[in-house]
Amino acid sequence: MCQRGEGQFFDILVQRYMEKAFRIALDFTRDSEEAKDLSQDAFLRAFSRLKQFDGRSSFYTWFYRLVVNLCLDHTRRKGKIVWERLESEQDNGREREELTDHMSRPDQEAIAGETKRRVDKTLEAMPNKQRTAFLLRNHQGLPISEVAKVMKTTEGTVRVYLHRAVAALRQCLVECI
Amino acid sequence: MKLSIERPATMCKALEEDLVLYYYGELDGSDTARIEHHVSDCAGCRHFLGDLQRLLPQMAIPQDLPQSFWDDYYRETVAKLASHREQRDGWRNLVAPMRMWLIPAFGTAAVAAVAFSMILGTPDLDFLRGQTQERIPHEIVIDSDQLEFFKTMDMLESLSALERLEARPITSQPQVSAT
Repeated sequence: MCQRGEGQFFDILVQRYMEKAFRIALDFTRDSEEAKDLSQDAFLRAFSRLKQFDGRSSFYTWFYRLVVNLCLDHTRRKGKIVWERLESEQDNGREREELTDHMSRPDQEAIAGETKRRVDKTLEAMPNKQRTAFLLRNHQGLPISEVAKVMKTTEGTVRVYLHRAVAALRQCLVECI
Repeated sequence: MKLSIERPATMCKALEEDLVLYYYGELDGSDTARIEHHVSDCAGCRHFLGDLQRLLPQMAIPQDLPQSFWDDYYRETVAKLASHREQRDGWRNLVAPMRMWLIPAFGTAAVAAVAFSMILGTPDLDFLRGQTQERIPHEIVIDSDQLEFFKTMDMLESLSALERLEARPITSQPQVSAT
């Protein structure tokens, strides 16, 4: 591939996959700046590792795997910080709730905020594989067969991960009432 | 996120996984029919499925981002890729001319080393041999000569002893007297 052709090829790849890459990263990090950095890193990594792409899976499966692995590494490294951030967000949420009471905002909105925080926390506490299976299936809409390819595992295993993740989230929401 | 969960009366735990897969449309035809039939009769499972249908799509609502965000994102990513490519190509350009000369250079160096060792190999060995002989102390060399002398003396002594034996007259065996 000549250099100019290579450049054009990557421009097309960026155009085609930037939104998906960013949204996957955002699902994992819930921080748009981090998601932006991680998804851009994924493009750089794809660029330097393109020779490793053997063509056995489709390009997007290979690329999604890169994005997911980067996100998992990132959350692993920043696990403690993320928790601290969540805790502080919770505190802020409590303050906000108190304020909302004084301002007579609808209770339902406050409860919905609390619910969202609980969902985020449950997702954060979930084992990486369960969370990955859930986010790729529920948020990205990948069929289980594709999720299995991205995660390099069997469809049966993904079904189990997905079921456990959904059950945990539902349990958290039921407790929230 | 709108909260509208109703606690199901009783749901069939054994069917929980199938209900999740049914919600995602991941069951085959016969299993789908089986679940639909069951849900129509079971209030608990109907509640559970209702919860999934209400809650799961709300979790996945994508954040709407303005077009300017995507334009910036694209520009930044392409710029990062271009700089990465330049960096890589820079290294390649630096190494490429060297790579062309690398094999001939190693070959010439190897041939030169072999030739050098062949020319200078023998005097080196002689020198080493000379050095080892020089390292033996003088006293030890003398001692070894003396050892040879003593060995010769021993041999002469044993020869004269033999001669003495031969020269001695043969005497009769002494008679043993009976007691």
